[in-house]
Amino acid sequence: MTAERGTAGYTAGYGEVVERDVVIVGGGPAGLTAAARLASAGLTVTILDEQPELGGQYYRRPAPAVAGHWGDHRPEGGRLIAQVRAAGVECRTGHLVWGVDDDGRTLLASDAADHPVRLRARRLVLATGAFERAFPFPGWQLPGVTTPGFAQHLAASDHTSIGDRVVLAGSGPFLLPVACSLLDLGVSVAGIAEAGRPYRPSLRALGTLGHPARLRELASYTARLARARVPIWQETVVLRADGRDRVSSVTLAAAAGPTRPVRTVEVDALCVGYGFRPQTDLARMLGCEVRIDAASGDAVPVTDAAGRASRADVYVVGEAAGIGGVHAAKARGLAAAHDILARETGVTVPASEARRTMSARRRLERFIALTDSLYPGPEALLATLAPALPADTVVCRCEAVRAREIRTVAQGSADGDLNATKAWTRAGMGPCQGRECGFAVAGLVRSVTSGAGAGDGGARVEIFPSRLPVRPVPLATLLELAGPESQKGDA
Amino acid sequence: MTRNPAPADRHAGPGRPPQTEIIVDGDPVRAVDGISLAAVLVGERRWGLRRNPVGGDPRGPFCGMGVCFECEVTVDGRPWVRACITKIYAGMRVETTAGGEAPHDR
Repeated sequence: MTAERGTAGYTAGYGEVVERDVVIVGGGPAGLTAAARLASAGLTVTILDEQPELGGQYYRRPAPAVAGHWGDHRPEGGRLIAQVRAAGVECRTGHLVWGVDDDGRTLLASDAADHPVRLRARRLVLATGAFERAFPFPGWQLPGVTTPGFAQHLAASDHTSIGDRVVLAGSGPFLLPVACSLLDLGVSVAGIAEAGRPYRPSLRALGTLGHPARLRELASYTARLARARVPIWQETVVLRADGRDRVSSVTLAAAAGPTRPVRTVEVDALCVGYGFRPQTDLARMLGCEVRIDAASGDAVPVTDAAGRASRADVYVVGEAAGIGGVHAAKARGLAAAHDILARETGVTVPASEARRTMSARRRLERFIALTDSLYPGPEALLATLAPALPADTVVCRCEAVRAREIRTVAQGSADGDLNATKAWTRAGMGPCQGRECGFAVAGLVRSVTSGAGAGDGGARVEIFPSRLPVRPVPLATLLELAGPESQKGDA
Repeated sequence: MTRNPAPADRHAGPGRPPQTEIIVDGDPVRAVDGISLAAVLVGERRWGLRRNPVGGDPRGPFCGMGVCFECEVTVDGRPWVRACITKIYAGMRVETTAGGEAPHDR
């Protein structure tokens, strides 16, 4: 069924108004899975995504010209999207959800042409995904220094190489498939610097622990890299990147002593990432309770097994509910859909289906814990890297705030308070809203204020709060939303 | 020395994928139809797309997923368009603002 665009019951302000049984924010694996299940059971569903096409980061769609010539790297994503469309889900791509109205439940968005859209639903499903965890180093703001995810997107969706000679660095399993994608494009991968020491002969032995398929996947990447003679430098981090208008070399250091150079490599692109962080701004703006995950230091929405947040009408699914990979994301999307169906239609899903979903989730969560244990936890990395960060390093890319200023303010007027440090230095106040520097700023503040931190039981939320708008909103959207009066007054 | 094979078109179909032409800072640029604007610019090794408003240093695409806002360019007169989440189409006019010393400027 195709949902109608309704306006009943909500007329304040201007712009298009959408009312649905369920509104899903985020068109990646979790959001798509939930959407397909809910719409096929007869509920009216709208799914929104900021990107020009559905798929999220994992199922990012290649252009038809790319898919036609080089093939689709994840055809199952295309099938899931087709299923969502066939089920009658209203798909709104190019839509930026940037805030929540004063009623605390109407989502404020702008469409592809910057026109305002308001959305209200009986149930909201937040499938806002994750973004890559960055940690600064001198020169990280140089053009040519990127996240590994960007290199992967360019390779997989656009068949474009990020450079001719590339170093990958950071930590986590994701660096391996990215390196392999680059090799497939004929790129010279000069090496991979991994902050931890996850790769050793015993990796093979882990395959017997009940998750052979996923570990085999890791092993197949390492085998491919070994065949191409790509060195993996373990317990190694980036000390700095150099170049005039663009990166031309990277200098690496031992993770245990990240101040002394051990190796300099000439590159024309450098991709650095430390895994992923849940994107929770919208959940927090809606007042959903979050907890601070001890290992990662990230805010994770508090949910029950079905993904229901502390607010009964809001579900958080996929990577936004905690990093777990695509299979966990889909399982969470499905569990939320089942719960919503039971509450909205009174029809509970067959016990066997529910049991399958739940046991798949538990199995996946054990696997996640296992892979996580191979790599250094982000909090442990922060404790090593933050104190060693040179004073001159640009930490906040947007506002060009350096480590020195952050340390000085944190020790001085901000008195160890993260948000006061942000307010005084402007670190985290630019367009990215602290997504790129937030992790590092928190680490810097903690590293200069002794006593606080890991041991305090997480009493203080050590992350930047969510601020409206979660993304910069085009001025045209705000003017149109406010109505003709404001536009007249402004002219 | 690391020797990587160059199997770029190992799985490629016959012929060439459909191309299109866009205009970047006045220059015609040909690229595979419908790929992301950031891919076209990086493929051309035009990395510096804007200058940081505080420090004035050149910046280029970083996150590739719409989070960092470092790849903002002007597209058909519309400012602050994130190149990484924008697909190209025939005749698209792109202006970067890295200016001066950016490597792709003359």
